[in-house]
Amino acid sequence: MNKNIFLYTCGLLCILASCKKDYGDLNHATVDAFTKNATTEQLNALVSGTESGMRNNLSLYLDDVGTIGREMYHFINAEPRYVTDLLGANDATLTGSNFYITNTWASRYQVVKNCNILIDAARHSNYISQEQKNGYTGFAKTIKAYQLLMNLNLTDSNGIRVDVADPDHLGPFVNYSDGLAAVAALLDSAVTDLGNASVVFPLPGFENFTDAAGLTKFNRALAARVAVYREKWVDALTDLNGSFFDLNGAPSLGVYHVFGSGSGDQLNDFFIPQNQTGDVRIAHPSFAADITPGDDRIGKATPRTAVASLNGLSGDRDVWVYTSSTAPIPIIKNEELILLYAECKIQLSGMPDAIVALNRIRTAHNLSPYAGAITPQALLTEMLNQRRFSLYCEGHRWIDLRRYGRLNELPIDRPGDDVWTKFPVPVSEQ
Amino acid sequence: MRHQLRLWTVLICCIILPGLAFSQNTIISGTVTDRSGHPVAGASIVIRPSTRGTFSDIEGKFRIAAAPGATIAIGSVGFVTQTILVGNTTEFNIRLEEDISRLDEVVVTGLATSIKRRNLSNAVATLSAKELAGIAPAQTFDAALEGKIPGAYTNANSGAPGGGISVKLRGVTSVYGNTQPLYVLDGVFVDNTATSAGINVITGALPGGAPTSNQDNPSSRIADLRPEDIESIEILKGASAAAVYGSRAAAGVIIITTKKGKEGNTKTSVSQDLGFVKVRKLLGVRTFNADRAASLSRDSATSAGLRQAFTTAQSAGKIYDYEKEIYGNTGFARNTVLSVSGGTARTGVYFSAAQKDEGGIVKNTGYRNSSLRLNVDHHLTDNIRIGISTNYINSSADRGISGNDNHGVSLGIALSSTPSFAELHPNSLGVYPNNPFAASNPLQTVALMQNNESVNRFITGISLDAQLQKSTRSFTRLVARGGFDFYHLGTSVLFPATLQFQAVNKGTSVQGATRNLSTNYILSLVNTLTPSDKLSLTTSAGLTQETGDYNNLLNIATQLIPGQSNVDQASALNAAQLRTKYQNEGIFIQEEASINDAITVTGGLRLDRSSNNGDVAKYYIYPKGGLSLNLTKMGLVKEGFINNIKLRAAYGQANNVPAYGSKFTSLSISNITGNSGVIVTPQEGTGDIRPERQAEFETGVDLSVLKGRLSFVLTWYNKTIDDFLMQSALPSSSGFTSKWVNAGNLRNRGVELGLNARPVQTRNITWNTSVNFWLNRSLVTKLTIPSVPQGSFGYVLGSYQIQEGKSATQILGLNGTGVGKLGDAEPTFQMNTYNEITFFDHLSLRFLLHWKQGGQNVNLTSLQNDFGGTSADYDQVTNKLNVPDGVYRIMQVGSDAHMFVQNSGYLRLREVGLYYSFTRLPVSYVKGLRVGVSLNNFLTITKYKAYDPEVSNFGTGFSSGVDVDPYPASKRGTFHIAIDF
Repeated sequence: MNKNIFLYTCGLLCILASCKKDYGDLNHATVDAFTKNATTEQLNALVSGTESGMRNNLSLYLDDVGTIGREMYHFINAEPRYVTDLLGANDATLTGSNFYITNTWASRYQVVKNCNILIDAARHSNYISQEQKNGYTGFAKTIKAYQLLMNLNLTDSNGIRVDVADPDHLGPFVNYSDGLAAVAALLDSAVTDLGNASVVFPLPGFENFTDAAGLTKFNRALAARVAVYREKWVDALTDLNGSFFDLNGAPSLGVYHVFGSGSGDQLNDFFIPQNQTGDVRIAHPSFAADITPGDDRIGKATPRTAVASLNGLSGDRDVWVYTSSTAPIPIIKNEELILLYAECKIQLSGMPDAIVALNRIRTAHNLSPYAGAITPQALLTEMLNQRRFSLYCEGHRWIDLRRYGRLNELPIDRPGDDVWTKFPVPVSEQ
Repeated sequence: MRHQLRLWTVLICCIILPGLAFSQNTIISGTVTDRSGHPVAGASIVIRPSTRGTFSDIEGKFRIAAAPGATIAIGSVGFVTQTILVGNTTEFNIRLEEDISRLDEVVVTGLATSIKRRNLSNAVATLSAKELAGIAPAQTFDAALEGKIPGAYTNANSGAPGGGISVKLRGVTSVYGNTQPLYVLDGVFVDNTATSAGINVITGALPGGAPTSNQDNPSSRIADLRPEDIESIEILKGASAAAVYGSRAAAGVIIITTKKGKEGNTKTSVSQDLGFVKVRKLLGVRTFNADRAASLSRDSATSAGLRQAFTTAQSAGKIYDYEKEIYGNTGFARNTVLSVSGGTARTGVYFSAAQKDEGGIVKNTGYRNSSLRLNVDHHLTDNIRIGISTNYINSSADRGISGNDNHGVSLGIALSSTPSFAELHPNSLGVYPNNPFAASNPLQTVALMQNNESVNRFITGISLDAQLQKSTRSFTRLVARGGFDFYHLGTSVLFPATLQFQAVNKGTSVQGATRNLSTNYILSLVNTLTPSDKLSLTTSAGLTQETGDYNNLLNIATQLIPGQSNVDQASALNAAQLRTKYQNEGIFIQEEASINDAITVTGGLRLDRSSNNGDVAKYYIYPKGGLSLNLTKMGLVKEGFINNIKLRAAYGQANNVPAYGSKFTSLSISNITGNSGVIVTPQEGTGDIRPERQAEFETGVDLSVLKGRLSFVLTWYNKTIDDFLMQSALPSSSGFTSKWVNAGNLRNRGVELGLNARPVQTRNITWNTSVNFWLNRSLVTKLTIPSVPQGSFGYVLGSYQIQEGKSATQILGLNGTGVGKLGDAEPTFQMNTYNEITFFDHLSLRFLLHWKQGGQNVNLTSLQNDFGGTSADYDQVTNKLNVPDGVYRIMQVGSDAHMFVQNSGYLRLREVGLYYSFTRLPVSYVKGLRVGVSLNNFLTITKYKAYDPEVSNFGTGFSSGVDVDPYPASKRGTFHIAIDF
């Protein structure tokens, strides 16, 4: 009797003690599950997630570049740092602990990480052919290069990390020129992959560029931008030839971030309706002041019924580049490629070709053909001016003026304001 | 094992052969009264050495059978236990003395064992029903704890109706882990999750589009409980006392015992409170003139327009104080409680039904709570007792919209940029104008918005106490306790399209449904062995299990059909779901030895594992031990001037399990125009995550003099937290921004000093007082990850930062030359005093004063008002640059954060109440009648600039004290009437 009770007791204790529980992740798929042996559907989900993720904090990136480049102000009472830190009000400086660099920086590297997971998942998948693997890898490397470029645009000579595959052993920071070189090399490597690929991806923002050939054109367009940043003018022209550059094509042809109101999707939160108060994006007064009369690009900054002002700044035009909450934001478009072509031609002293390209832009915007001096200096100024209005609030002007050492041309609105040349790297990296 | 074996045999025998016959005795009867002759109901009358007993009835009367020569012990909560010898007398009149030092109070020391305070090795704080809800009742249970727990840092997150109080016991116990104590209600582990209603969709306080953030200011679920049902509360402040609670006890344990029915006539009580709720403090608004209005813009045309707008408004007499209009509402408060309590020798029943309804200081906000409770205790046999306590709660809180916000829509943020000459009032058609100075018109927002949390909750606890074996030397019980806590929380956030800031979204409706089921049980065997009269050994051993299953679903609809709130009446719909689940298991064994009723030695072990740990199978071992030496009982100190002196020391360990999901690297949804996609989450998983482990040593001395009229309790503690869990900020170039890691060690040391006294005791006046002093200092002793600012808005505005060798709650920020320490959230010290002065036995004045000395907040509310050009002191000139102070302060932003890090000390009259008990009652069936008036949080002395020094934009987590336009704190005045039948 006693022995039995003893056994029962021990048995009961063992049952109670052995029912250990491990619930797993109840809310998400795990990376482990995707990198073991991914199906096409899982890989495509990573592709869509990557395209979607590129939009995270994109409006903040445009605010950063647009504000320092004196294209616009973001007025919002609740967040003074848009008009203090970014413009260098009083003694304010940019610090690496603030949202304007930490959030956008992290979002770009989140996409880089997703691309690395995609490459890893494609490599370990037994469901797809080598050509398909090449396609996923080529796509992932292209997007990775683009995301790295965006961070490098912000931190400039403070640099970026390129090798970030192992979170526990991150590669070193590389400086601006090495960073650009790494981005260019990554794009080249991606083109090699895409050359031996056969895929068609579900990429809603990529219109006709969703297969290997199309992605190659997109890749070369980015490569042309990078080559121009690197002042490799001949390479840039070669890249343009491989891209969707079309001197006579529609300026808007290109690859875009698109938006939707569906579940899990995002709206374009750079968009704010006209004449709002409180949270507003206001065109810098110099935009309307400097634009040539008759230029239809004035429509990118529409007059307000009431002036908006904050903290000693004011403006009477709304930024009206993105006119709905689902308006697409360009990644790269033909209008930029035409201007990149013009820039290369000017730098290589091909003035007539450059003028043809510039006039292509001018006439498209209701302006008379170029009649200024035909000197490199004058044409560069004209090219930068066309870039200013054609690529308004698309994240270019600050970077363009910096490339040409012309940041001192930007207007100072309040005494003591500064024009920053670069963002500090986030404190988490320091 | 052989011993246990016998226990099981006995258990079976007990079930088969219930009830042992007792010999007949003589009947003893008597009346129990207090010093002034008032009957003491519910006093326990126990025959020693048996444990047989009864309770006194409502008139203090009792009857019990006792053998001649037996001893009878008569005790009641708050009184010194008296013993009488049964001789020839059979009728006794017993006058109990009030127990100022509470030496005879029984304190829980294990999951199934308890001990008298006289022999306790820890400083365990207790709160009586009177202290909790009998001075000036607070709106919610959590608010009723404020300022009352020595050793705790209690802080209200905001003044929004429905609660939300942070309770931190003995300093920082965790950085990103759970900082809040475990609440145990009649043996049931009560869930205290704060669930966001998805208000971040509206405010964008956390940019990036997440529907929820830790800035959404939800209430904590512990607020649902009814203080009126509570008999007493014990607070185990650290691991040395709480180790037996294991995995969830690292932040301390608050043990709540509800009222039980006792033998005697059934007592019915009805109480009614009527009162009002008003704002505690307003900041005032800037007085504008034409020049000041014009200076709001530097654009000449706008400036001229503003000047004109001001002059026009002024001549039309349309200058407003919008702060007063928004926050100046007087809320009506009512609270009705019906309770019935009584029982027979075998069965005790307590029933209560209660409802309260309160308005807020902002229109269309308020709180409502309805509750039903039934507690039944029943002796199945003389040896088996079961108890069931059940509670149904329905609560509803309309919390308004407040706090940090990036869309210019929370009331404080909108007010901060709205000058007095703006016109926000609706026109004759009821149409509100757009606010040209902000993204929203706060009057319109208040009128049209909804942010409601409504809860349906069942809490049921069951206990079984069975005597398995009994002999002259040994006594064995099976104690089983367990229960469940289930609630459904419905949240409804509705911002219709007509609101100024809904121009893009055209109406937003966020409907949330959360259901949570927590269960727990404790099975234990307790044996008390008394080898001799001088030695008593209590052995307990058992098993515990706790589970939690939480499921939160949020539906976010925009582009609403006008007038509709259902999420399907919209053209855009997003959803978010969060589930968490855990199971913790523990095994414990504990031994308590009492020698001569003078020396108590305690030792115990607990083994724990949890599904949240990296290794789910691994048991972590947590020991505890304690020693108390009662010098007077030992005879080392003669009873005289000193009537009790005790030295005590205790040590224990407990843990805090990692947050659910910290193990996984996950992919979250990231769709694009109909294509479903996934992207890696910003949190990297830590597969080998371990619980954080707290070890606490405390020691102290308890001294009672002048026949117990004056007593002191002094405690020193050293509490270390090893492997504390932190969400390490990763270099975000890794693709991750955070990762849960066991990041280092920290330490809290502190002193608690308590004094209980009765300074005045005359025929007509009695004054009882308790004074407590406590302080805590923390130190990060080890940090294995890079130190980064956290928990606020960066160095520019002042931020927390964990650094090795520094206080865990230090605040760093720009100091004019770089980054330096600007403050510390830790108070220098805190004190409180609770007093009850009774005049002529009928009139009772009770008050609670709370003093928090030092400690800093990050005040960004004042900064917002400066930015908006509306601070009341904007135009004063007291700075060295001779510009308006508002301008000067803005100029400091970005170079110096000193002015945001402000001292948040205060002296607060938390509660004061005056009560009168009638003795001459109008009719015989009325047994008691009391009336009273009370004021809650009416007086605060502070230099703090914003609404209230108690504030936390980030809720109950680590980084409290960040002040961003909260719902302003309120004060309350209440009239009470209570009738007993």
